[in-house]
Amino acid sequence: MDKESKRSIDIAVQKVLKKAEEENIKTVWDRFEEQLPQCGFSQLGLCCTVCNMGPCRIDPFGEGAQTGICGADSDTIAARNLARKVAAGASAHSDHGRDVAHTLFLLAEGKAHDYQILDKNKLKELAKELEINLDLPEEKIVKEVAWRILMEFGKQQDQLIFIKRAPEKRQNLWKKLGISPRGVDREIVETLHTTNMGVDNDYKNLIKSALKCSLSDGWGGSMIATDLQDIILGSPQPIRGKVNLGVLKEDFVNIVVHGHEPILSEMAVKAAKDPELVKLAKEKGAQGINLAGICCTANEVLMRHGIPVAGNFLHQELAIITGAVEVMMVDVQCIMPALKDVASCFHTKLITTNPKARFPGVEHIEFEPQKAYEVAKKIIRLGVENFSYRNKDRVNIPKQQMDLVAGFTKEIVFRILGGRYRATYRPLNEAIISGRLRGIAGIVGCNNPKQTHDYFHTTLAKELIKNDILVLQTGCSAIASAKEGLLIPEAAKEYAGKGLQEICEAVGIPAVLHLGSCVDNSRILTAASEIIAEGGLGEDISDLPAAGAAPEWMSEKAITIGFYFVASGVYTVFGASPFAVLGSKNVSSYLTKELEELVGARFDFCDDPFKMAKLMIEHIDKKRELLKLKPLMYQ
Amino acid sequence: MKQFVIAGNSAAGISAVEAIRTKDKESKIIVISDEDYPSYCRCLISYYLAGEVGEDKLLYRPENFYKDYNIELILNKKVLRVDPKKNRVILEDKTQLNFDYLLIATGASPKFPDIAGIKKRGVFGFRTIKDVKDIEKILPYTKTACVLGGGLIGLKVAYALHRRNIETKIIIKSRQVLSQILDFEAARFVQKKLEENGIEIIFGQDAVEIIGDGDTKAIKLESGKIIGCSLVIVGKGIIPNIDLVKETNIKFNEGIISNEYMQTNIPNIYTAGDVCESFDITLGTYAINALWPVAIEQGKVAGLNMAGESFKYEGSLGMNSLEFFGLAVVSLGMYRIKENDTSFEELKICDEKRNIYKKLILKNNLLVGGILIGDIRNSGLYLRLIKEKVDVSAIKEKLLAENFSYPVIKDLLKKEKEKIYV
Amino acid sequence: MKRLYYRIDKCLGCRSCEIACAVAHAGEETLFCAIKQKVLPRKKVYFFEGKNFPLSCLHCKEHPCVDACMAGALVYDKEKGLVIHNEERCVGCWICVMVCPYGAIRPDINRKIPVRCDKCKNKDEPACVKACPTTAILWQEEDFLLEVKK
Repeated sequence: MDKESKRSIDIAVQKVLKKAEEENIKTVWDRFEEQLPQCGFSQLGLCCTVCNMGPCRIDPFGEGAQTGICGADSDTIAARNLARKVAAGASAHSDHGRDVAHTLFLLAEGKAHDYQILDKNKLKELAKELEINLDLPEEKIVKEVAWRILMEFGKQQDQLIFIKRAPEKRQNLWKKLGISPRGVDREIVETLHTTNMGVDNDYKNLIKSALKCSLSDGWGGSMIATDLQDIILGSPQPIRGKVNLGVLKEDFVNIVVHGHEPILSEMAVKAAKDPELVKLAKEKGAQGINLAGICCTANEVLMRHGIPVAGNFLHQELAIITGAVEVMMVDVQCIMPALKDVASCFHTKLITTNPKARFPGVEHIEFEPQKAYEVAKKIIRLGVENFSYRNKDRVNIPKQQMDLVAGFTKEIVFRILGGRYRATYRPLNEAIISGRLRGIAGIVGCNNPKQTHDYFHTTLAKELIKNDILVLQTGCSAIASAKEGLLIPEAAKEYAGKGLQEICEAVGIPAVLHLGSCVDNSRILTAASEIIAEGGLGEDISDLPAAGAAPEWMSEKAITIGFYFVASGVYTVFGASPFAVLGSKNVSSYLTKELEELVGARFDFCDDPFKMAKLMIEHIDKKRELLKLKPLMYQ
Repeated sequence: MKQFVIAGNSAAGISAVEAIRTKDKESKIIVISDEDYPSYCRCLISYYLAGEVGEDKLLYRPENFYKDYNIELILNKKVLRVDPKKNRVILEDKTQLNFDYLLIATGASPKFPDIAGIKKRGVFGFRTIKDVKDIEKILPYTKTACVLGGGLIGLKVAYALHRRNIETKIIIKSRQVLSQILDFEAARFVQKKLEENGIEIIFGQDAVEIIGDGDTKAIKLESGKIIGCSLVIVGKGIIPNIDLVKETNIKFNEGIISNEYMQTNIPNIYTAGDVCESFDITLGTYAINALWPVAIEQGKVAGLNMAGESFKYEGSLGMNSLEFFGLAVVSLGMYRIKENDTSFEELKICDEKRNIYKKLILKNNLLVGGILIGDIRNSGLYLRLIKEKVDVSAIKEKLLAENFSYPVIKDLLKKEKEKIYV
Repeated sequence: MKRLYYRIDKCLGCRSCEIACAVAHAGEETLFCAIKQKVLPRKKVYFFEGKNFPLSCLHCKEHPCVDACMAGALVYDKEKGLVIHNEERCVGCWICVMVCPYGAIRPDINRKIPVRCDKCKNKDEPACVKACPTTAILWQEEDFLLEVKK
């Protein structure tokens, strides 16, 4: 096997990596190798940099120091480090949610006139949930919703409003355990407080704090982001699209949007069609303007507009290395600092837009919701003007692209199963009860150069659907499956088990459903709650024949997602490498065993996609047995 | 008690003496040199000329070396002739010295082209401290110097003269610098570095005449162009100093031919260093590798065997390390393959932005040579792979990887002398 | 005569030894000074196939670097088992880098001088030994290996 195919299973990636090597451009994979060996103490979670008496390290072989200077042992240090990561991950999604809520507020005040309410039904439903008088005029309702949601972040007492969406049994469990989250900001701050030097020294208590903090993301920040984005930008509907580097077009101005927040990129979609800019592009010798996305910004504009996806996390440098990208416009999260250097090897203009996320020496055009379209247009114009500077001899776009269907939401996906006129979860529940469907699995998360890119995501997805498990995906994981062709309905025939195949054929959906970006993992939580509400599959999410996985994770956000999944009762398997806790036997065993008694779910760590699938299937079968469901229809 | 005579007082000679003394502390050793100095670091004379190294640092061994090693040193006398039948050597002052064992390590001399005016004052080879001192004398009156030849010596002299603020031009017949150790692409890196630093290089030209009345005033090129200069340094290769064996039955070709024990065809006469031809492991033929570390190795083998050991020399190979204006260069073994020769395989990285060029040449999965420019880390590992003829098929793609290191080749090596890991 | 040995199963790749080495060879022996003076560590931890391999000059009994040094800047001290590098005499020709069979002599291109382990000759034991938090670096007499075998 050559170097490139060890790095990624994606032919397009392999091709661009060859080009990168020929042109002496370093990529994330090269930098990973340069980092080796990676520090074992950090990998084990045994390095503590919390206070200035340190840094301290615990000798995992038992010969050297067994406590830090303050006396913290491996359990405290590993748990403290982990809790900090959970808080960091929660802060990212939640701050994203806050920005959307802020936009909604400006919209209500008439200050963000480029936006409007595109999903009025969802607005009404949310208003009802917030017990707002629906007889008020719409702008009043919008303002009230926005204000009430913004208040969720700083709430000092009472639990988050969306907690009520969870099954009652789960809500009670959270209350009993004392992990029912209050204000999003409060939980993040509190967790950070407990990890200070000399505060919480009990690893179990630290993990409990992390669980609570994560719930404020899953049932708070992230859920707010999803719901309000749907209200402002419209709820996704099933939509066709294309994916992989082949979506970049040689004779078009290529604009790539990358990051996580759709508020600006939504305007970029509009601006790319602006007749004035299209005309300018043609004057510059291009056939038009081609917008494509990377990472979760891509998922957002794909779900709502079918904008093509150039790739997932590890594609970000490669898109530029094709030599055909005029502008890469970035917002927040998962944007590699390396982009600046890669872009400097080409004509590509890297443009930052968010005041929170800047690069030294990179052009910054700040996004403000008040001037959204104007800013988007300015950026697209830069791209169009940059087309003349493209060096055609260096352009080499791999041909690879794949069709896909995306745009499933908790509102759409399961109702579709019942047909357009019977919008209910009943058929899905029936399918599981009858044994036609074994269960449901969520595969989410990032890419990581430690692993062969996309191999884990796609292998796991194939294994699961082969075993009649409906797979729900978000984020970079969904893009991996999309590239592999798993998101077209026809793929079910080739890969899915017979039961799942029947369902897919009857309804015309793929066996792997794309639910959106990584904040949209909240859609999985609400869907699970609705399944419980529909009845017949237990009383709590932890009763469901369902499992989750983050096979190629890298971001702190992934840890937080894992935490809120487990805290919500979903058994979750992580690939790549365990959260840095292996240095503490107690913390490791707490996460992988004892948590089950606490929240009805636990973590597992596994570095083989086949084994990972086996673990998830075993878990689902165990849950089926506990529910005394019928045996599987086809086995 | 035996009598060892060592003709030559440089790398090979000294190395042989040191080797003999590890085995034999008693016997008499006589070292003869035609120069006026105790053994010095010949490769450092360009640094000396450049003013980077003082004369005191040129000494290769401490002042009391000859005394400590109980060696009789004869300076300033050339060995005129060897008489193998009578086991003696005749010096230029007719002195005769008997030997039980003789080492011929007389080195080599600069090759001067046969052109008009080559004997004029101001034309020098570059080999000895004396050369430097003679050059030094006319430097105060020199504005421009021409260096003939773009090999190692030529470039090092040019660098030194440049450091002394002399306007320096290098005249090269071929189309590249260092054509004996680098391929064209690699040579471009060195050329660029020299030119960036103000050394002018004229390619595709030879000097056809040295002009001047007694003192050098200018040189004339093939093209007819005349370059005014009062100093000309010739770096157009060397000739082994084999006159002393020419009228004997000691076999020689271009240099004196040695077997794997560094022995000539006469059993008690050995040879080592620039004067000898030995087996080249990458070329697979006999060749002169006139290089300091090769001379050391050969001297050591010769010395051990003269003292009664039976030590086999693994063979020489071309290996050069140099540095110009911060650009490090290493060349090992085979450095260029014939076009369309498919029996070789090339691995290559060429990164002009970072000034890095690395090329390895493989044949049948064995490394036979390479060039490293800009990044010479771990070059000793490549040398080892070449020398030990290690099958590298399993690590081919790792050879030029950023993190190539000893552990990568560790398990492929047949034997390991030092224990490191437990 | 003591030498450095490494227990690879214990090396976690934290590179504390590299940092300690740089510090020990910086003017004021502080981390700040080492960074400011751009002191290169004489030791390096390499990674290969899942394991970490610390490596520095082995002060070999056969020492091709000493033989090859054209400036006479390297001397082997048999009693101490030490290759001594006389920086005053060194001209930075890289010949020792080219012949080191372990790749253990590292070129400091900026300072134009090769860097290599000196066994921290002015200290009671090398700084890397002290710095290793898992005792993966051993500072032992040569015959220690025989005892290990027993």
